[in-house]
Amino acid sequence: MKRLALLAVLMVATRAAAQEPRLERVDTAARAPVAALLDSARAAGLPTEPLIQRALEGTTRGAPANRVIAAVRRLAADLGRAREALGPSAAPPEIEAGAAALRAGASPSVLAQLRRARHQPLMIPLAVLTDLVASGVPVDSATAAVLILARTAQDADLVEFRRAVERDIALGASPASAATDVARATLAGATNVNSPPHMGSGRPRRP
Amino acid sequence: MFDRIVAHLRAPVRIDPAFDERVMAEIATLPVPTPVRPAAAWRRLAPFAGLAVAATALVLIARPTPPTRRLQFVVVAPQAATVSLVGDFNDWDAARTPMRLLRADGPVWSAVVPLAPGRYHYAFLVNGSRWLPDPAAPVASDDGFGAPSSVVTVRGT
Repeated sequence: MKRLALLAVLMVATRAAAQEPRLERVDTAARAPVAALLDSARAAGLPTEPLIQRALEGTTRGAPANRVIAAVRRLAADLGRAREALGPSAAPPEIEAGAAALRAGASPSVLAQLRRARHQPLMIPLAVLTDLVASGVPVDSATAAVLILARTAQDADLVEFRRAVERDIALGASPASAATDVARATLAGATNVNSPPHMGSGRPRRP
Repeated sequence: MFDRIVAHLRAPVRIDPAFDERVMAEIATLPVPTPVRPAAAWRRLAPFAGLAVAATALVLIARPTPPTRRLQFVVVAPQAATVSLVGDFNDWDAARTPMRLLRADGPVWSAVVPLAPGRYHYAFLVNGSRWLPDPAAPVASDDGFGAPSSVVTVRGT
């Protein structure tokens, strides 16, 4: 009986590896559950590549099977919430960036507001929001700044905004005030018709 | 009786000398079928095939390929024997992107990776076991594995 159960587990794991060859690197005990999560995500129209990468990351780190499964399951749930907030037309990179923003503390309503405010891909604004929170900027401040900038700023301006905030924080500014000040300066630059927003903001640029 | 029958059967058959001519004359009256010529079929399809090839070439030439940027990853890792760059751009495979020492007498390790626009998670793997996030890059949100990874965002333009 025990041998039969072992054989069944091996067969399921082999089938899972056949569906996604990269899962062969994943612990045998985690392979079948991860493959099942991939199947569910695929059926729900969610991107599966981030889930595969999460499983591979856990494997490279030597994480035990139960932690790999839990991490993949949690990411699948985040991807589902992000897609729900961003709408069915959301592209895979947007869904993945949205999942990271939710994990960082942004609310689903923020994702929906961003979708309404910006008629361009949302990958960069969501990434900037996530990175700001990771830099120590409170979620509310980061959200307010990105929501305001996302209406008009280009992707390049948003990335430059994030870099400027990180520089200010590194120079000793409090994360919240850095985000607010830089957002204000970026907006002032955007309203200056004589210079593009990412070139001249009236604020000295650091090297 | 039996011998007579056998002798009759063995007797040579007499054929009318004009039989062959009559058969050939009959055959000559039949309509001649048009032979199937592959070259003719190809001539009919050639314009369409040419158009298809031209359209495919146009699509391949005009298709915007994502601009790839060569990003240099650098880390200071004193007393490291090996350092690998692992991330979701190389399936977190430590064997795929080994880093090399910038100078033989210094602990600065480097690797250059071409990346299409997107957001990538990565870390440095020192001596095959120590997980090291990039101190110069934003930290990735908690992935459930303990020590954090880093993120890099590659813009499209």
